[in-house]
Amino acid sequence: MNSNMPSSKTTPGPSADRRDIVDDLNRLMAEEAEACLRYFQMRFRLRGKDYATAELFFENAIEETMEHANSIAQQIRALGHIPTLRVNLSLGDEPMRLETALGEALDVEQQALDAYKDFLPRVEGDPVLEPFIRRQIEVETEHVQEIRDFINAKGTMKLVTKPERTGQGGSRRRALKSLKRPL
Amino acid sequence: MIYQTIVDTWKEFEANELTHSGAHHLLAIYEVGAAYGGWARVSDIARRLNITRGSVSINLRTLKKRGWVQTDEHRLVKLSPKGLKVVHAVMAKRVIVKTFLRDVLGIPESQAEIDSCKIEHLISHSTGQRLAHFLQFLTSGAPASRRLLQQFRAFQATCPASRTCDICKGHCLIDELKYAI
Repeated sequence: MNSNMPSSKTTPGPSADRRDIVDDLNRLMAEEAEACLRYFQMRFRLRGKDYATAELFFENAIEETMEHANSIAQQIRALGHIPTLRVNLSLGDEPMRLETALGEALDVEQQALDAYKDFLPRVEGDPVLEPFIRRQIEVETEHVQEIRDFINAKGTMKLVTKPERTGQGGSRRRALKSLKRPL
Repeated sequence: MIYQTIVDTWKEFEANELTHSGAHHLLAIYEVGAAYGGWARVSDIARRLNITRGSVSINLRTLKKRGWVQTDEHRLVKLSPKGLKVVHAVMAKRVIVKTFLRDVLGIPESQAEIDSCKIEHLISHSTGQRLAHFLQFLTSGAPASRRLLQQFRAFQATCPASRTCDICKGHCLIDELKYAI
């Protein structure tokens, strides 16, 4: 990384301006809401076995990203603001291979994770937001790792559901299970 | 027939050429990265374009496939030499178009900026070059070009009562724009 590049942390923790915090939360919410819409449409671009293999994965991803967007919106509301959603999305209608779809899903999840990590220093010391963002980082880290594992396994695994896990950061029902099926 | 040609041109354009979104991504990488050896963060590109990081990331996949951008292990983004050429060409066409709109047609600076931004990546390099040559001619100071420019600026366009002329051919184009929604 270029050593001259400034840190993304522009204002230190507790003293960060409240309006800036809300703006950043709105951006995080947009990342999640947009990912939800992206997953919603992406699954219909898959064909045949690809669609069957990934249907559940995308359904869970849709549910989870919307849950995340909702929990961020609740945080914004708790700060006394109305969530502002800015999404500018136009998605293609051409068929897509599962490998490409998962590659895009990995990009989206990785960016969401990076966004939470960048935001964390700005809320350090905040009794509500810091633990909330830490939980989000934990969940997104798992998502990224799951998708990466799946891609690295070159399709010898299948995305299936597993029983709901208790804990914070939204339901976790996505899992990877061994199933010899090439991408 | 003409409509079909236009459709074909657009299909070809969509398939092979730089889209409006792509042009803006490349320009944003160029501008954001200018202070950091050309490297730009996805978060900064997203802020510059007022879109999400996820969108930037997805759009970068296409630009990478075309060999216009490269990324490093920190997910920083930089224009490739080929991408830099694309950006320089787009910026050149923007300046040419804006200069033409502002200095020749007399369009206000702010509108010329907006319109040139919309056109910059759409016109071909050869059209951009011819437009630049035309600007050179108009600003050369030669008596003929000076006269032409003066005459154009003094020209008061009027439409005949029939609303038809050699340009409009029976359907007044100026009226279409004048009363456009």
